[in-house]
Amino acid sequence: LYCTTSQRYTLYSLLQQIAPPSAGHIVGQQQLTSYLQKALSDGPRNVVLFLQDKMSIEDFTMYGGAFGNKQDTAFPNLEGALMSSSSPLVLPAVSWPASNAVIGQLQDHLDTSPLYMDPETLSQLRLNASSPALLVFRLPADLMSAKEILSGNDEVIGQVMSTMKTQAVPYTAIYTALRPARVRRTGSRMNTLFLPSVSLQEGEDTCILLWAKGLSVSILRSGRWEDHDLTPSTFGEAVSPKLHGSSCDKTKAKWVGPCGAFRDHIDTHQRHYKVSARRWFTLDSVQLEYDSIKAKFNASRSVYAPAEFSYRCQSVSSFRWPQLVPHAVNDPANHAALYSIQGFNVTGGDFSYASDCAGFFSPGIWMGLMTSLLMVLVLTYGLHMIMQLRTMDRFDDPKGPAISVPQTE
Amino acid sequence: MLLEWMMNGHAILYTGVTLAFWTTILVVGLCYTIFDLGFRFDVAWFLTETSPFMWANLGIGLAISLSVVGAAWGIYITGSSILGGGVKAPRIKTKNLVSIIFCEAVAIYGIIMAIVISNMAENFTGTTPETIGARNYQAGYSMFGAGLTVGFSNLFCGICVGIVGSGAALADAQNANLFVKILIVEIFGSAIGLFGVIVAILQTSKVKMGD
Repeated sequence: LYCTTSQRYTLYSLLQQIAPPSAGHIVGQQQLTSYLQKALSDGPRNVVLFLQDKMSIEDFTMYGGAFGNKQDTAFPNLEGALMSSSSPLVLPAVSWPASNAVIGQLQDHLDTSPLYMDPETLSQLRLNASSPALLVFRLPADLMSAKEILSGNDEVIGQVMSTMKTQAVPYTAIYTALRPARVRRTGSRMNTLFLPSVSLQEGEDTCILLWAKGLSVSILRSGRWEDHDLTPSTFGEAVSPKLHGSSCDKTKAKWVGPCGAFRDHIDTHQRHYKVSARRWFTLDSVQLEYDSIKAKFNASRSVYAPAEFSYRCQSVSSFRWPQLVPHAVNDPANHAALYSIQGFNVTGGDFSYASDCAGFFSPGIWMGLMTSLLMVLVLTYGLHMIMQLRTMDRFDDPKGPAISVPQTE
Repeated sequence: MLLEWMMNGHAILYTGVTLAFWTTILVVGLCYTIFDLGFRFDVAWFLTETSPFMWANLGIGLAISLSVVGAAWGIYITGSSILGGGVKAPRIKTKNLVSIIFCEAVAIYGIIMAIVISNMAENFTGTTPETIGARNYQAGYSMFGAGLTVGFSNLFCGICVGIVGSGAALADAQNANLFVKILIVEIFGSAIGLFGVIVAILQTSKVKMGD
């Protein structure tokens, strides 16, 4: 974005009164408005707006001949205009809702409606220094390569500039775009394929975070095992589960699932452990309520993590690598796959570092390593002994007679 | 002289391996510390997740193998002396076989203990530390300990008897009176192997593996 005024008016101090933005600073709507106000109130009331579809600072870096190859630049007219202008201003980063609204803002400031033109129609127009005019040139962005688009746009700019010179009227020119060429994603990836996590809000802060890829229970009902999938009711996108009965404070956190045929209660607590000198949280129990039966599962043996971290496991279930141990024998199986939970010290809406239930080496790997190491030690020992065996060679004399061993006793 | 020592292939190899090993340990430890993941270094997890069967069988294997190493080493030392001395003094051959028998006894202790320990290994149903139970863990560790005990005792006993026996043979070749006196030294050396066996029996006396 830059504003130029023609050479006629020596208003070089105009825009230098406003401090240019610092490097890396993104100019927001308010700031842009103030720049425009300054430029339009004190400067010429004729505004030429070049509007590109997409723009980014990288385009100027790549194609502007910035690497010592000035002759390859795609912006000769633009650079010429900047240099000849008496009051140029470059805003390297403008937030795109602001740049999108620049037409509207200019319209308001100048109190005139925009005229959409192209270089041919401009020569037919007669401009007046006193009456305001807003001329908008939509620069084409066909499916050509970026460099061709930019060169083409620069050509248009050059033609318009020369036409304006012949008009001999002071004007302000603005070159910007409707949207950025590259959208920068900050923060974590958007996993729209995955279900969002359920969180318990305690006022402003999030208290408990729970996420699972799937949640299913199987119960023994009238002699038969039935499977029920609770995933959509708990984690579905359109669902905001009512977590009545959930609570959390500094040491205990309780998560109660949404009301329905099946209800999940998850109890966790955190405390300080003296031996390891840090706070840990454990998932004490998972209770499943259905048909007025309460089935309880203990999980404190395996679901634990330091209090600052979250716990994550591929599968938390009471069968198949069971993490949940049922209290009584005939309790139903409770299964949740790809599971993350954090009950305390939640900052922001994201899980903290996930203490995974699977370590780097599995027990089998450790056993194999131990045994292999032992055998390698044995091999090394044996090899060393064999390699330092030496036969007696003190009396070896290759040129002398062979020894004779008498046959008698 | 250092250069000559360094030119030795053995020295380079051992130095290199030791250096690599300790560097790995250091780097891994540093990473655990820097990233505040020290809580994942869990010795209890290692001891409870590894199978008691591994420990038991390691004990059995070490019992016999270390004993045999001791016996073999002793026999090779004594045997070469007897054979060498026997060239010039053939009368020592028969008497000095006693030294060889002492060394062999060490190997016999080892195999007896290996059989005794392996008879204690039973099947158990249980895959998690709770279901395996404390008794099975105790059995696994006891068998490992007993195997180590008898193995190392017999290893050093065998070497000891071997070196003394070699001396006995060479002394006997010079002077026949010396043999009986040196035999007493050998008997003392042999007793220490027996100590190892006794302690190993005590360690495995309370072992009961199974459900």
